[in-house]
Amino acid sequence: MYIIIIGAGNVGYGLALELYSHADYEILLVENDRGRAEMLRDELGELCVHGDGTEVTFLESIGVSRADVVIAVTGDDSHNLIACQVAQHSFGVSRTIARVNNPRNERLFQTLGIESTVSAASAVLAQIEADLPAQSFIPLLRLRASGLEVVDLHVQPRSRAADVALRDLDLPDDAVISLVVSGDQSRVPDGDTVLQAGDEIIAVIGQESEPAMRELVRSPDEPQREIDEVLQ
Amino acid sequence: MGCGRVGSTVAGRLDADGHDVTIIDLDTQAFRRLPGSFGGERLRGSGIDDRTLVAAGVREADAFIALTQGDNRNLMASQMAKHLFNVETVVTRVYDPLRAELYGRLGLRTFSPTRISADLAIDALLGRS
Repeated sequence: MYIIIIGAGNVGYGLALELYSHADYEILLVENDRGRAEMLRDELGELCVHGDGTEVTFLESIGVSRADVVIAVTGDDSHNLIACQVAQHSFGVSRTIARVNNPRNERLFQTLGIESTVSAASAVLAQIEADLPAQSFIPLLRLRASGLEVVDLHVQPRSRAADVALRDLDLPDDAVISLVVSGDQSRVPDGDTVLQAGDEIIAVIGQESEPAMRELVRSPDEPQREIDEVLQ
Repeated sequence: MGCGRVGSTVAGRLDADGHDVTIIDLDTQAFRRLPGSFGGERLRGSGIDDRTLVAAGVREADAFIALTQGDNRNLMASQMAKHLFNVETVVTRVYDPLRAELYGRLGLRTFSPTRISADLAIDALLGRS
Protein backbone atom coordinates (compact mmCIF):
# COMPACT_ATOMS: atom_id res chain seq x y z
CA MET A 1 0.00 0.00 0.00
CA TYR A 2 1.39 3.40 -1.04
CA ILE A 3 0.64 6.16 1.48
CA ILE A 4 1.52 9.81 0.90
CA ILE A 5 1.66 12.10 3.92
CA ILE A 6 1.59 15.83 3.21
CA GLY A 7 3.06 18.01 5.94
CA ALA A 8 6.07 16.91 7.99
CA GLY A 9 5.33 18.78 11.18
CA ASN A 10 5.03 16.86 14.42
CA VAL A 11 1.86 15.09 13.27
CA GLY A 12 3.14 14.09 9.82
CA TYR A 13 6.56 13.11 11.08
CA GLY A 14 5.16 10.97 13.90
CA LEU A 15 2.66 9.37 11.53
CA ALA A 16 5.38 8.56 8.98
CA LEU A 17 7.56 6.86 11.60
CA GLU A 18 4.58 4.89 12.87
CA LEU A 19 3.46 3.71 9.43
CA TYR A 20 7.03 3.08 8.27
CA SER A 21 7.40 0.26 10.78
CA HIS A 22 4.72 -1.72 8.88
CA ALA A 23 6.43 -3.81 6.26
CA ASP A 24 3.47 -3.59 3.85
CA TYR A 25 3.39 0.18 3.63
CA GLU A 26 5.35 2.32 1.24
CA ILE A 27 5.48 5.79 2.76
CA LEU A 28 6.35 9.17 1.29
CA LEU A 29 6.47 12.27 3.49
CA VAL A 30 6.10 15.61 1.70
CA GLU A 31 7.33 18.86 3.25
CA ASN A 32 6.96 22.30 1.73
CA ASP A 33 9.65 24.00 3.84
CA ARG A 34 13.03 23.32 2.25
CA GLY A 35 15.06 23.57 5.45
CA ARG A 36 12.77 21.23 7.35
CA ALA A 37 12.69 18.79 4.41
CA GLU A 38 16.50 18.70 4.18
CA MET A 39 16.84 18.13 7.90
CA LEU A 40 14.40 15.22 7.72
CA ARG A 41 16.14 13.77 4.66
CA ASP A 42 19.34 13.53 6.71
CA GLU A 43 17.42 11.44 9.18
CA LEU A 44 14.93 9.54 7.03
CA GLY A 45 16.59 9.45 3.61
CA GLU A 46 14.31 9.13 0.62
CA LEU A 47 11.26 8.73 2.81
CA CYS A 48 10.99 12.54 2.80
CA VAL A 49 10.78 14.86 -0.22
CA HIS A 50 10.65 18.63 -0.54
CA GLY A 51 7.65 19.97 -2.46
CA ASP A 52 4.23 21.61 -2.48
CA GLY A 53 1.65 18.90 -1.87
CA THR A 54 -1.10 20.98 -3.46
CA GLU A 55 0.68 21.49 -6.77
CA VAL A 56 -0.45 19.26 -9.62
CA THR A 57 2.96 18.91 -11.33
CA PHE A 58 4.74 18.06 -8.11
CA LEU A 59 2.10 15.50 -7.13
CA GLU A 60 2.47 13.91 -10.55
CA SER A 61 6.24 13.61 -10.04
CA ILE A 62 5.76 11.60 -6.84
CA GLY A 63 3.29 9.24 -8.49
CA VAL A 64 0.21 10.28 -6.57
CA SER A 65 -2.09 8.47 -9.00
CA ARG A 66 -0.87 5.13 -7.69
CA ALA A 67 -1.28 6.20 -4.04
CA ASP A 68 -3.85 4.24 -2.06
CA VAL A 69 -4.20 6.95 0.56
CA VAL A 70 -3.28 10.63 0.75
CA ILE A 71 -3.14 12.09 4.25
CA ALA A 72 -2.85 15.89 4.56
CA VAL A 73 -1.77 16.99 8.03
CA THR A 74 -0.24 20.45 7.67
CA GLY A 75 -1.12 23.20 10.14
CA ASP A 76 -3.03 25.04 7.40
CA ASP A 77 -6.59 23.90 6.68
CA SER A 78 -6.65 25.42 3.21
CA HIS A 79 -3.55 23.40 2.31
CA ASN A 80 -5.04 20.18 3.65
CA LEU A 81 -8.32 20.73 1.81
CA ILE A 82 -6.76 21.52 -1.56
CA ALA A 83 -4.18 18.70 -1.31
CA CYS A 84 -6.98 16.17 -0.78
CA GLN A 85 -9.18 17.64 -3.51
CA VAL A 86 -6.36 17.70 -6.07
CA ALA A 87 -5.41 14.09 -5.19
CA GLN A 88 -9.05 13.03 -5.59
CA HIS A 89 -10.10 14.95 -8.65
CA SER A 90 -6.90 15.20 -10.69
CA PHE A 91 -5.41 11.81 -9.81
CA GLY A 92 -8.36 9.62 -8.81
CA VAL A 93 -7.09 8.84 -5.30
CA SER A 94 -10.10 7.34 -3.57
CA ARG A 95 -9.03 7.63 0.08
CA THR A 96 -8.09 11.05 1.40
CA ILE A 97 -7.74 11.99 5.04
CA ALA A 98 -7.44 15.61 6.15
CA ARG A 99 -6.42 17.09 9.45
CA VAL A 100 -8.81 19.89 10.38
CA ASN A 101 -7.06 22.43 12.59
CA ASN A 102 -10.13 24.58 13.09
CA PRO A 103 -13.01 22.25 14.05
CA ARG A 104 -15.44 24.75 12.49
CA ASN A 105 -14.11 23.62 9.10
CA GLU A 106 -15.19 20.00 9.50
CA ARG A 107 -18.55 20.61 7.89
CA LEU A 108 -16.96 22.26 4.84
CA PHE A 109 -14.53 19.38 4.35
CA GLN A 110 -17.35 16.86 4.54
CA THR A 111 -19.55 18.88 2.20
CA LEU A 112 -16.70 18.89 -0.30
CA GLY A 113 -16.30 15.12 -0.17
CA ILE A 114 -13.14 14.64 1.88
CA GLU A 115 -13.69 11.09 3.10
CA SER A 116 -12.21 11.38 6.58
CA THR A 117 -11.33 14.33 8.73
CA VAL A 118 -9.34 14.31 11.94
CA SER A 119 -9.67 17.17 14.37
CA ALA A 120 -7.63 17.20 17.55
CA ALA A 121 -9.90 19.82 19.11
CA SER A 122 -13.04 17.77 18.44
CA ALA A 123 -11.42 14.59 19.73
CA VAL A 124 -10.41 16.29 22.97
CA LEU A 125 -13.88 17.77 23.36
CA ALA A 126 -15.53 14.39 22.81
CA GLN A 127 -13.21 12.96 25.44
CA ILE A 128 -14.14 15.71 27.90
CA GLU A 129 -17.83 15.14 27.18
CA ALA A 130 -17.45 11.40 27.75
CA ASP A 131 -15.71 12.00 31.06
CA LEU A 132 -18.28 14.36 32.50
CA PRO A 133 -20.23 12.40 35.12
CA ALA A 134 -23.64 13.89 34.36
CA GLN A 135 -23.21 13.59 30.62
CA SER A 136 -26.24 11.96 29.05
CA PHE A 137 -25.10 11.74 25.43
CA ILE A 138 -21.82 10.33 24.12
CA PRO A 139 -21.13 10.01 20.38
CA LEU A 140 -19.31 6.69 19.83
CA LEU A 141 -18.87 6.38 16.10
CA ARG A 142 -19.66 8.46 13.03
CA LEU A 143 -20.51 6.63 9.82
CA ARG A 144 -19.78 9.41 7.37
CA ALA A 145 -21.01 7.78 4.18
CA SER A 146 -24.52 7.16 5.51
CA GLY A 147 -24.76 10.22 7.76
CA LEU A 148 -25.50 7.95 10.70
CA GLU A 149 -23.86 7.79 14.09
CA VAL A 150 -23.76 5.35 16.95
CA VAL A 151 -24.39 7.03 20.29
CA ASP A 152 -24.45 6.09 23.93
CA LEU A 153 -27.30 7.70 25.89
CA HIS A 154 -27.92 7.73 29.62
CA VAL A 155 -31.55 8.07 30.59
CA GLN A 156 -31.71 10.80 33.22
CA PRO A 157 -34.27 10.92 36.01
CA ARG A 158 -37.47 12.75 35.02
CA SER A 159 -36.34 12.93 31.38
CA ARG A 160 -38.93 12.44 28.65
CA ALA A 161 -37.61 8.94 27.96
CA ALA A 162 -37.85 7.71 31.57
CA ASP A 163 -40.72 5.39 32.53
CA VAL A 164 -42.16 5.36 29.01
CA ALA A 165 -42.66 2.32 26.78
CA LEU A 166 -40.57 2.61 23.61
CA ARG A 167 -43.63 2.54 21.35
CA ASP A 168 -44.97 5.66 23.12
CA LEU A 169 -41.67 7.48 22.91
CA ASP A 170 -41.46 10.25 20.34
CA LEU A 171 -38.32 8.99 18.58
CA PRO A 172 -37.00 10.70 15.44
CA ASP A 173 -37.76 8.61 12.32
CA ASP A 174 -34.12 7.82 11.65
CA ALA A 175 -33.34 6.66 15.20
CA VAL A 176 -33.12 2.99 16.13
CA ILE A 177 -32.50 1.89 19.71
CA SER A 178 -30.32 -1.20 19.38
CA LEU A 179 -29.55 -2.09 22.95
CA VAL A 180 -30.75 -1.21 26.44
CA VAL A 181 -28.38 -1.81 29.34
CA SER A 182 -29.80 -1.82 32.89
CA GLY A 183 -27.12 -2.49 35.49
CA ASP A 184 -25.29 -5.57 34.24
CA GLN A 185 -28.25 -6.78 32.12
CA SER A 186 -28.45 -5.90 28.46
CA ARG A 187 -31.33 -6.63 26.11
CA VAL A 188 -32.54 -5.87 22.61
CA PRO A 189 -35.64 -3.80 23.21
CA ASP A 190 -39.09 -4.02 21.61
CA GLY A 191 -42.06 -1.70 21.71
CA ASP A 192 -43.04 -2.88 25.19
CA THR A 193 -39.66 -2.13 26.73
CA VAL A 194 -39.98 0.59 29.36
CA LEU A 195 -36.87 2.70 29.85
CA GLN A 196 -35.84 3.47 33.43
CA ALA A 197 -33.76 6.35 34.73
CA GLY A 198 -30.17 5.11 34.86
CA ASP A 199 -30.55 2.86 31.79
CA GLU A 200 -27.92 3.13 29.15
CA ILE A 201 -28.99 3.00 25.50
CA ILE A 202 -26.93 2.29 22.42
CA ALA A 203 -28.69 3.80 19.42
CA VAL A 204 -28.05 4.33 15.72
CA ILE A 205 -29.32 7.77 14.70
CA GLY A 206 -29.13 10.22 11.82
CA GLN A 207 -26.68 13.01 12.61
CA GLU A 208 -29.48 15.56 12.23
CA SER A 209 -31.39 13.87 15.05
CA GLU A 210 -28.69 14.48 17.63
CA PRO A 211 -30.43 17.47 19.28
CA ALA A 212 -33.77 15.61 19.46
CA MET A 213 -32.12 12.56 21.06
CA ARG A 214 -30.24 14.70 23.59
CA GLU A 215 -33.55 16.31 24.49
CA LEU A 216 -35.25 12.94 25.09
CA VAL A 217 -32.83 11.72 27.74
CA ARG A 218 -31.93 15.06 29.29
CA SER A 219 -32.87 15.70 32.89
CA PRO A 220 -34.95 18.88 33.19
CA ASP A 221 -32.24 20.17 35.59
CA GLU A 222 -29.35 19.66 33.16
CA PRO A 223 -28.59 22.75 31.11
CA GLN A 224 -28.73 22.28 27.36
CA ARG A 225 -25.39 22.58 25.68
CA GLU A 226 -23.88 21.72 22.37
CA ILE A 227 -20.31 21.11 21.28
CA ASP A 228 -20.70 24.02 18.88
CA GLU A 229 -21.46 26.37 21.75
CA VAL A 230 -18.39 25.23 23.65
CA LEU A 231 -16.28 26.00 20.60
CA GLN A 232 -17.59 29.54 20.12
CA MET B 1 -11.21 39.02 -0.18
CA GLY B 2 -7.66 40.36 -0.30
CA CYS B 3 -6.84 44.07 -0.47
CA GLY B 4 -3.66 43.92 -2.50
CA ARG B 5 -3.11 45.94 -5.66
CA VAL B 6 -5.67 43.98 -7.65
CA GLY B 7 -8.17 43.62 -4.80
CA SER B 8 -8.11 47.32 -3.93
CA THR B 9 -8.50 48.29 -7.59
CA VAL B 10 -11.42 45.92 -8.13
CA ALA B 11 -13.10 47.11 -4.92
CA GLY B 12 -12.59 50.76 -5.86
CA ARG B 13 -14.04 50.33 -9.32
CA LEU B 14 -17.06 48.29 -8.23
CA ASP B 15 -17.76 50.83 -5.49
CA ALA B 16 -17.52 53.69 -8.01
CA ASP B 17 -19.97 51.79 -10.25
CA GLY B 18 -22.52 51.85 -7.42
CA HIS B 19 -22.23 48.31 -6.01
CA ASP B 20 -22.26 47.57 -2.27
CA VAL B 21 -18.73 46.40 -1.60
CA THR B 22 -17.13 44.86 1.50
CA ILE B 23 -13.41 44.18 1.37
CA ILE B 24 -11.68 41.70 3.73
CA ASP B 25 -7.99 41.61 4.57
CA LEU B 26 -5.91 40.20 7.43
CA ASP B 27 -3.94 43.43 7.63
CA THR B 28 -5.65 46.81 8.14
CA GLN B 29 -2.59 48.51 6.59
CA ALA B 30 -3.66 46.97 3.27
CA PHE B 31 -6.78 49.17 3.24
CA ARG B 32 -4.52 52.18 2.57
CA ARG B 33 -4.33 50.96 -1.02
CA LEU B 34 -8.04 51.73 -1.50
CA PRO B 35 -8.85 54.93 -3.38
CA GLY B 36 -9.80 57.88 -1.14
CA SER B 37 -13.28 57.86 -2.62
CA PHE B 38 -13.97 54.25 -1.53
CA GLY B 39 -17.33 54.21 0.26
CA GLY B 40 -17.62 50.48 1.02
CA GLU B 41 -16.93 48.47 4.17
CA ARG B 42 -13.44 47.44 5.29
CA LEU B 43 -13.30 44.30 7.42
CA ARG B 44 -10.20 42.91 9.10
CA GLY B 45 -10.21 39.10 9.20
CA SER B 46 -9.47 35.86 7.46
CA GLY B 47 -11.63 34.94 4.49
CA ILE B 48 -11.25 31.25 5.31
CA ASP B 49 -12.97 31.78 8.67
CA ASP B 50 -16.72 31.35 8.26
CA ARG B 51 -17.36 33.90 11.00
CA THR B 52 -15.49 36.58 9.05
CA LEU B 53 -17.48 35.74 5.93
CA VAL B 54 -20.75 35.99 7.86
CA ALA B 55 -19.67 39.32 9.37
CA ALA B 56 -18.89 40.52 5.86
CA GLY B 57 -22.47 39.71 4.86
CA VAL B 58 -21.79 36.63 2.73
CA ARG B 59 -25.34 35.40 3.34
CA GLU B 60 -26.77 38.39 1.48
CA ALA B 61 -23.99 38.64 -1.11
CA ASP B 62 -24.66 38.25 -4.83
CA ALA B 63 -21.00 37.76 -5.64
CA PHE B 64 -17.71 36.83 -3.96
CA ILE B 65 -14.22 37.30 -5.38
CA ALA B 66 -11.03 35.89 -3.85
CA LEU B 67 -7.85 37.80 -4.71
CA THR B 68 -5.27 37.03 -2.02
CA GLN B 69 -1.75 35.87 -2.87
CA GLY B 70 -2.53 32.32 -1.73
CA ASP B 71 -4.11 29.98 -4.28
CA ASN B 72 -5.24 27.55 -1.60
CA ARG B 73 -6.73 30.25 0.60
CA ASN B 74 -8.60 31.67 -2.40
CA LEU B 75 -9.89 28.23 -3.35
CA MET B 76 -10.99 27.35 0.18
CA ALA B 77 -12.77 30.67 0.80
CA SER B 78 -14.47 30.48 -2.59
CA GLN B 79 -15.75 26.99 -1.91
CA MET B 80 -17.08 28.17 1.47
CA ALA B 81 -18.91 31.04 -0.24
CA LYS B 82 -20.32 28.75 -2.91
CA HIS B 83 -21.10 25.56 -0.99
CA LEU B 84 -21.79 26.73 2.57
CA PHE B 85 -23.39 30.09 1.81
CA ASN B 86 -24.76 29.55 -1.72
CA VAL B 87 -23.34 32.76 -3.18
CA GLU B 88 -24.39 32.73 -6.82
CA THR B 89 -21.30 34.17 -8.49
CA VAL B 90 -17.91 33.16 -7.13
CA VAL B 91 -14.71 34.26 -8.85
CA THR B 92 -11.30 32.94 -7.81
CA ARG B 93 -7.78 33.99 -8.74
CA VAL B 94 -5.51 30.94 -8.95
CA TYR B 95 -1.89 31.53 -10.00
CA ASP B 96 -1.28 27.84 -10.75
CA PRO B 97 -2.90 27.26 -14.18
CA LEU B 98 -3.46 23.55 -13.49
CA ARG B 99 -5.32 24.17 -10.24
CA ALA B 100 -7.27 26.97 -11.97
CA GLU B 101 -8.36 24.48 -14.62
CA LEU B 102 -9.29 21.78 -12.09
CA TYR B 103 -11.47 24.06 -9.96
CA GLY B 104 -13.03 25.51 -13.12
CA ARG B 105 -14.23 21.97 -13.81
CA LEU B 106 -15.46 21.75 -10.19
CA GLY B 107 -17.74 24.74 -10.70
CA LEU B 108 -15.76 27.81 -9.63
CA ARG B 109 -15.18 30.68 -12.03
CA THR B 110 -11.36 30.72 -11.92
CA PHE B 111 -8.74 32.68 -13.80
CA SER B 112 -4.98 32.26 -13.80
CA PRO B 113 -2.85 35.43 -14.01
CA THR B 114 0.10 33.18 -14.86
CA ARG B 115 -1.57 31.84 -17.98
CA ILE B 116 -2.88 35.29 -18.95
CA SER B 117 0.57 36.89 -18.52
CA ALA B 118 2.23 34.10 -20.49
CA ASP B 119 -0.27 34.55 -23.33
CA LEU B 120 0.27 38.32 -23.33
CA ALA B 121 4.05 37.91 -23.26
CA ILE B 122 4.02 35.54 -26.22
CA ASP B 123 1.64 37.76 -28.18
CA ALA B 124 3.84 40.81 -27.55
CA LEU B 125 6.93 38.85 -28.51
CA LEU B 126 5.43 37.71 -31.78
CA GLY B 127 3.98 41.13 -32.54
CA ARG B 128 0.38 39.99 -32.27
CA SER B 129 -2.03 42.30 -30.54
